[in-house]
Amino acid sequence: MTVYETDVPGVGRKFEYELDGDDRLVVLIHHDGKREVFRRPSADADGTKLFELSDKQAREFGTILEGAYFQPVDLDSVDVPLGESIIEWTDLPETSSLVGQTLREAEVRQQTGVSVIAIQRGERTIANPQPEFELEGGDILVTLGTRDEQQALNELISA
Amino acid sequence: MAGEVLLEVGIALTALAIGGTLAVRANQSVIPMYILVGILVGPNVPTHLGPIPLTLVESHEFIDVLAELGIVLLLFFLGLEFNIERLVDGWNQLVGIGSVDFVVNFGVGVVLGFVFGFSPIETLFFAGIVYISSSAVITKSLIERGWIANPESEAILGTLVFEDILIAVYLALLSAVALGGGGLETAAVSVGVAFAFLGGLTLLAFYGTQYVERLFAVDSDELFLLRVLGVTTLVGGAALALGVSEAVAAFFVGTAFSTTGHTNRIERVVSPARDLFAAIFFFSIGLTTDVTVIAEVVVLLAVAVVLTTLTKLTSGTVGGRLYGLNRRRSLRVGVGLVPRGEFSLVIAALATSVGTGALGSTIPAFAVGYVLVMSILGTVLMGYTDSVTAYAGGSPTD
Repeated sequence: MTVYETDVPGVGRKFEYELDGDDRLVVLIHHDGKREVFRRPSADADGTKLFELSDKQAREFGTILEGAYFQPVDLDSVDVPLGESIIEWTDLPETSSLVGQTLREAEVRQQTGVSVIAIQRGERTIANPQPEFELEGGDILVTLGTRDEQQALNELISA
Repeated sequence: MAGEVLLEVGIALTALAIGGTLAVRANQSVIPMYILVGILVGPNVPTHLGPIPLTLVESHEFIDVLAELGIVLLLFFLGLEFNIERLVDGWNQLVGIGSVDFVVNFGVGVVLGFVFGFSPIETLFFAGIVYISSSAVITKSLIERGWIANPESEAILGTLVFEDILIAVYLALLSAVALGGGGLETAAVSVGVAFAFLGGLTLLAFYGTQYVERLFAVDSDELFLLRVLGVTTLVGGAALALGVSEAVAAFFVGTAFSTTGHTNRIERVVSPARDLFAAIFFFSIGLTTDVTVIAEVVVLLAVAVVLTTLTKLTSGTVGGRLYGLNRRRSLRVGVGLVPRGEFSLVIAALATSVGTGALGSTIPAFAVGYVLVMSILGTVLMGYTDSVTAYAGGSPTD
């Protein structure tokens, strides 16, 4: 990638940004901050003006291009077939009726549909807890399930 | 009295505003329109349109002062954009294209001057007027046409930079000789004074960067504007008092700023003032123009328009080839350089101030007619080049 920078007397500065091969984006920054963006598909072709932005617009648009607001994940490398399910972290309050019950007794899976994939207790994380695991107030349940299932869990806990 | 002056300035500004709006509507440069507006409301013919009296602005001492500020600021900005580093970078290519441009176009001016019976000094003025392209009109057209994104714009802008340097030297020499008046000896003395003054300014500009940097470091835009205008006008005025061109002095003040960190702020804060005073300068050129004198030089005008359009086309095309552009783009370099404007008028204003022989009336009138035609012709030609090259778009590499 090469950027060519030239002074345009009385106007501002011109930047030429190489895309693929001869294809270039030409950005003209005026002294008053206005940006004009042209595209030149090949060395022989004339530039066509794509758009024009004010200084403020250009800065905001620039951060979008930069990915400051949103960075798309490379979908090929994400290998979590969650489908419609999401993972939620739910606090178990001291007042919940589930406190003191084992996972088997609480029948979380049967009643709500979510799978308890881990329990966070203080500093510790108990991954894949067994049916005999006894719940305590202050535990954080890490559960996998659809939005509806997660909602059902919230209702069970507060019951 | 103050009321009358205020009324005249009001008429001038309003007329300029209306004229400028019309020019923009018609997709034309504002410069020729400002001149036309000046001619229309000025004391010379046409004095009335049917029953409507047109001579609205009669005495224009005050407008002359504002116009003088216009010249000073035009040249100040020329100096400001004069960047030594940029010159050194592309020097080899610039010299080729700039020399061809100078030799061909200044040359045709000299030949025409002699053919039409001007004296040597008058011929020098004349050649300068037909040689120098208009940075203002051309840069604006390049942006509007979108040529600014293409390689030919660099060749065109490069040529303009070369012309700008030459014109600074040329104005310094010419004004020293013309304002000095009289024989060879006085001319030599005034050239000496001019170059001593300008030499001093150059040294100051070169070694004084840090002082300029500090002197103009002020938070308030208002005070910044006043300091820049104050210093520039003061130096310009002092130069004029010494018999040196105020325009050239302003150019050197501009160069003193070009290496400081203030350039962007000057572009932002001072250029509105330049645009205002430059508009009044073009207007005042129109005011002093007697259309009947333009009619007297119509043959010279016609010949000059045809010949100098052809020479710019030729020199630009050759220059473009030297610059390594293909045929189509080289032709565009030629077309792009056709418009003449503000600097031709600055030279004409200098000629008017000398005020003897052809310099007093014929050459200034010629310059006005010439700029009117060339600034419009040049921008129109650029439009045609667009459609011609689009039509011939099949083989853009030719």
